[in-house]
Amino acid sequence: MILVKLEGVPDNPYPHPPRAGQVVLTPVGPELAPSEQVQILYRLSDPALSELGLDEFLDELLLRVREALSVDTVAILLYDEPTNQLVARAARGIEEEVERGVRLPLGQGFAGRIAAERVPIFIADVDHADILNPILREKGIRSLLGVPMIVEGQLIGVLHVGALHPRDFDQRDLAVLQVAAARAAPGIERARLYSALEREHRVAMVLQRSLLPKRLVDVVGVKTAARYLPASDDVGGDWYDVFELARGRLGVAIGDVVGHGVRAAALMGQLRTALHAYAMQDYGPARTLELVDRYVQAMPDYAMATAAYAVLEPDTGEVQIASAGHLPPVVVAKGGARVMDISPSAPLGAFSYGRVQEQELILSPGEILVLYTDGLVERPGTPLTTSMEKLAAVVSDARSVDELCRLAVERMLPSGSLRDDVAIVAIQNTDIADVLDLRLPADPKILVEIRHLLRRWLRHHGANDAETLEITLAVSEACTNAIEHAYSPAPAEFTLSASADNGRFTFTISDTGRWRPPQGQDRGRGLTIIRAAMDDVDVNTSDTGTEIVMHRRIEP
Amino acid sequence: MVARLTGEVDLSNADGIESAIAEATPSHAVALVLDVSDVDYLDSAGIHLVYRLREKLRARGQSLRLVIPADSPANDALRLAGVPQAVNTAQTLDAALAEFAPRGAPAPDASPAEASSREPTRPEVPGPGAV
Repeated sequence: MILVKLEGVPDNPYPHPPRAGQVVLTPVGPELAPSEQVQILYRLSDPALSELGLDEFLDELLLRVREALSVDTVAILLYDEPTNQLVARAARGIEEEVERGVRLPLGQGFAGRIAAERVPIFIADVDHADILNPILREKGIRSLLGVPMIVEGQLIGVLHVGALHPRDFDQRDLAVLQVAAARAAPGIERARLYSALEREHRVAMVLQRSLLPKRLVDVVGVKTAARYLPASDDVGGDWYDVFELARGRLGVAIGDVVGHGVRAAALMGQLRTALHAYAMQDYGPARTLELVDRYVQAMPDYAMATAAYAVLEPDTGEVQIASAGHLPPVVVAKGGARVMDISPSAPLGAFSYGRVQEQELILSPGEILVLYTDGLVERPGTPLTTSMEKLAAVVSDARSVDELCRLAVERMLPSGSLRDDVAIVAIQNTDIADVLDLRLPADPKILVEIRHLLRRWLRHHGANDAETLEITLAVSEACTNAIEHAYSPAPAEFTLSASADNGRFTFTISDTGRWRPPQGQDRGRGLTIIRAAMDDVDVNTSDTGTEIVMHRRIEP
Repeated sequence: MVARLTGEVDLSNADGIESAIAEATPSHAVALVLDVSDVDYLDSAGIHLVYRLREKLRARGQSLRLVIPADSPANDALRLAGVPQAVNTAQTLDAALAEFAPRGAPAPDASPAEASSREPTRPEVPGPGAV
């Protein structure tokens, strides 16, 4: 059923092969639109529409199209070039199309053919037509009219209208629809260009992500957790870092580069690396920040950042901390949380040869040190100190670092999009358990951590320095044996348990490997040391593995 | 040639430390003085290291002196392992270097290992224990 007969055009002038139920129409220029349509056309090109955001604009336009053509449904499908598909973008009357994210292949069905051949198509009765989109049938739509949306020769998408009762569309209807398509297309194209900017945003995001630690270091006896939340519209220069230092100490850093976007993210990466590198040289917090400051001063472009760096000695809970213009940390203790009274030095890059002050605090077992960036506490109209006190209050009940991060994010940040990016990093010197019961990877690197935890545990149970040294040596030797036995292809583990009973310690180290005879005189020394340091030692070897049980009594 | 160790020595780094020291010791050096005064922890893996290093140096005609104060953690390991006198040891670095001094000359300046330079060569082996 051909609805639009054009004068001077043969009955079947179209190169397009007919398909079931589809009628290809010849586009009509707006100049052909009857004068009574002017009002409708004006409503569609209303300049006020331009002031709306894309979503509101499309919604409003579709509403006006529906009204002008007295149809039940209107929908816009956009052309997605990478997949060569049409994607539902906006709809009135058949909102499901958008909700379900309907995607249709180009070249097939109703909309697909409009897009591929760039022609208007009319379907008088859906029941007898070649359509792909199941929603059209589900909704009981009977007649359809659709036009391609084209900007500067580029296909943007398809605009189509539908009626729940069979009806005809005439030339005037087609003209109206084409005006609407012409009106909508440039706005959509602009939005596409804008999304190219979004791609840059995504690049910055990926950059930012790649510069943050993939996983936090795992130090026996210390728990760490961190969160990074990007701002909704731009990437910031927040970072955090957690790393192991010599002698089982832990370094924790946080920072915030002034500025946004790819440049800030890249600069953040440089500063994080510089800080990490100086920290590994064991310069300590103040000197490390001073050196990073020199590094920033030497940069060709102006740059400024704030940063805080802390070093934790898990054995004693001593923390050395320094801040270059960064917000004061929050310390969560058993009796509640407080904002640390820290005197920050100047931000990095602010003054030549600035000096950085260092402060000390004791992080007792169970206590948590929290470093964060301003995005967590800065709220328009709220004094910073008020926000920081609020942060201390909301995290005061946190018993673990993960719980703390969760509470901080949930209670401090507004739901929805963030204006600034946020970084949080928390470390907890874990409580010393009365009984140690550890399952450990059979990796020599774990030995140093075991010794640090053990020293803390022994001291907690009243061992003196000489006893701590000897017992640590013996237990470390036994663990070394367990690690050396574990020559299985799969990642192997061993267990270490320790208990204290009235000044008598019991240690059990079990592995699933075979006790290998000591290789030569030198390697036999491990067992010699164990026997010399302990009161008694039992080595039990079975088919399933080896277990060393040893006891040592300490002086009261 | 003096090598001063700091940090902790165990199974995780003993092999690496041994090769690092052996490679850093020039062939013209008469002896290596290994100073473990500042080592916080050393166990059988560390003792093993000393012995292997001694063998390696001996094969090159070089000798090993160990600087290990009586009250150092490293010495406790040696004591417990029952091998206090197996290696030529000294209580202090100066004492170890003095052994190389020609008669009458003040130590440690005239140490043969330092003949080519006023400054003693002290490759500081990075952080055992170190992690």
